[in-house]
Amino acid sequence: MALQNLGEGRSRPSFSRYFGMSRSAMASPATFMALMAPGVAIVAAFFLIPLVLVAMEVANGPDGWATYLVILTNARYFESLVQTLLMSAGVTVVALILCGIVGMFLVRNRFSGRSVLIGLLTLPLSFPGTVVGFMVIMLAGRQGAVGSISNALIGEKIVFAYEIAGLFIGYLYFSIPRVILAVMASAEKLDPQLEEAARSLGAPRWRVVRDVILPGLMPGLISSGAICFATAMGAFGTAFTLATDIDVLPMVIYTEFTRNANIAVAAALSIALGLITWLCLSAVRFLVGEKADLATRGGA
Amino acid sequence: MNATAMAQPGSQTVQTEKTGGTRIELAGCTKTFPDGTRALLPFDLTINGGETLVLLGPSGCGKTTILRLIAGLEFPDAGGKITFGADDVTSQSIEKRRVGMVFQSYALFPNMTVAENVAYGLKVQKVERRERDERVRAMLEMMHIDMLADRRIDQLSGGQRQRVALARAIALRPRVLLLDEPLTALDAKLRVTLRTEINSLLRKLGITAIYVTHDQEEAMALGDRIVVMQKGAIAQIGTPREIYRAPRSPFVADFVGASNRLDGRIEQNSLVLGDIKIGLEQIGHAVEGGPNGHHDGNTGQGAADVYFRADGLAICTPDQGQMRGRVEAISYLGEKSRLTVSGIGESAITLDVDPDFQIAIGDDIHCRFNPERLTVFGRHSNARNAAQTM
Repeated sequence: MALQNLGEGRSRPSFSRYFGMSRSAMASPATFMALMAPGVAIVAAFFLIPLVLVAMEVANGPDGWATYLVILTNARYFESLVQTLLMSAGVTVVALILCGIVGMFLVRNRFSGRSVLIGLLTLPLSFPGTVVGFMVIMLAGRQGAVGSISNALIGEKIVFAYEIAGLFIGYLYFSIPRVILAVMASAEKLDPQLEEAARSLGAPRWRVVRDVILPGLMPGLISSGAICFATAMGAFGTAFTLATDIDVLPMVIYTEFTRNANIAVAAALSIALGLITWLCLSAVRFLVGEKADLATRGGA
Repeated sequence: MNATAMAQPGSQTVQTEKTGGTRIELAGCTKTFPDGTRALLPFDLTINGGETLVLLGPSGCGKTTILRLIAGLEFPDAGGKITFGADDVTSQSIEKRRVGMVFQSYALFPNMTVAENVAYGLKVQKVERRERDERVRAMLEMMHIDMLADRRIDQLSGGQRQRVALARAIALRPRVLLLDEPLTALDAKLRVTLRTEINSLLRKLGITAIYVTHDQEEAMALGDRIVVMQKGAIAQIGTPREIYRAPRSPFVADFVGASNRLDGRIEQNSLVLGDIKIGLEQIGHAVEGGPNGHHDGNTGQGAADVYFRADGLAICTPDQGQMRGRVEAISYLGEKSRLTVSGIGESAITLDVDPDFQIAIGDDIHCRFNPERLTVFGRHSNARNAAQTM
């Protein structure tokens, strides 16, 4: 009974939901505590304790709590933050558009080679970031395929693996499987008769997409977009392999920590990175989450 | 409903039919699916203006495909022609056809309220805000759901949802209303209530309607005419009474509820069942074999299928009895009791008795035929020729 109740909670950004206070059919306090214990233990071991330790590193540093402001006051850190944010947001948007179209198509159409195609599209799930970075170098690096072809054709080597474009492609490649799988899961649940109903009422294609398909896919797009954004914000392997011109925030943290032994700054940047990522995700959930939550209910 | 009221605001075409509904014609239509399956064999079908036509048949018989052809969700094979009134809509897609659709799954937009759902079509057609609100309110009132206007779809019961779906479909004053098993997902009692409501709604609007169902009772209750479908072909078209009393083939008889079947013979203008002989002139409905059989009583010679409902046999005293059977099961249905009787035909026969009739499982009963309630099909299409040569 208690488990059922807990499972019923929807991912809506309201306090009463998060803390389960308003649930009328609550289990007895003892059962509730027993059920909460594993969760509390995991949160403590993997989240609270490391976070506190990192936060203490900041406090013990030369500048104390003021270190947190370094991300705003130091031009290099601030620029890195902006670049990382723009990059992640860009990757997320492009991945959502691309995978929204592809995922919808894959669900609605049956053709030979379909399952092979799905398999190929979801393959990057099994690659670590370093491998993806390596693949981008093979594609667009100094000895890459694009460079060789362009050299043969126009006598000029096109190389973009080590700039923002390379990083962008790497991250995108990395994100596609998650987003496609989530879109496909949402699309499977979309009743094709909803589209037929809209069309019978005279709605042209673009309106069907806007009024029926997008609201139906929204929960999948939000959740996979959130994962995509968070992954891109923290991705390190690809950036490290590419050794890009641009400093993404995880790279900056790595450099401060290992090379400069600037532990307090690294810790402050770490917490800032986590906090900003979380804030962005919460903002998106809050703005579109309510609508998307509605869209998934009802129907047949 | 007069002609101007049927016209849709914002469109130039004005309905001219005096009947108040659009006449729909399908001529020479066939449907073959891309994988080569023949979903519909060649057929012609006319639905009169304001008529409610029911497409009845088991699943996979092609009834929904006909509906989708009329909707513009499927298109007939080359050579087929579909007209709405004087309008050739064969190649028109659904967006242009002005059809109202009601689905089994309701297909309401979950991200919109009840009122927004009903208003959607009007909004797409750019009907001005004030008129839109006015029409939505009128629709909701007509369907008795005006108090639900601001509810979300997930807060509605199945019956309420289907009312919203109906309101949404007729809000645009479509040329034809297409209903695809709209009551199948509802429970039995609600099904009957809503069926009655839909019936009076269709009469009130005078709209042409096509209703797909596999439920014989629903078809009889709603249809001006019923089209019984079998394996992609039309088995029979007729009024509910014709379909019920004068089925044209064993399939139709069986599908509309004449579930008892006996093997008989036709000899010299009489039906012979074992040692019982009934003059064909007494038989309610006799058809010679073959697809174009007619009930002229002259059913030739040879083997015959005899179909009848639970009222085709009646219990009687032993001296009047034509045959004897043994009660295997009794179902008390309230206004009657239905007996399952063995020993009369190869398979068990059902017959109805007064619910207060004293009888127990294992009892022997005597019964006789009610010839008017029998339907006889000669089994050979050349039975008539055989009779002539004799």
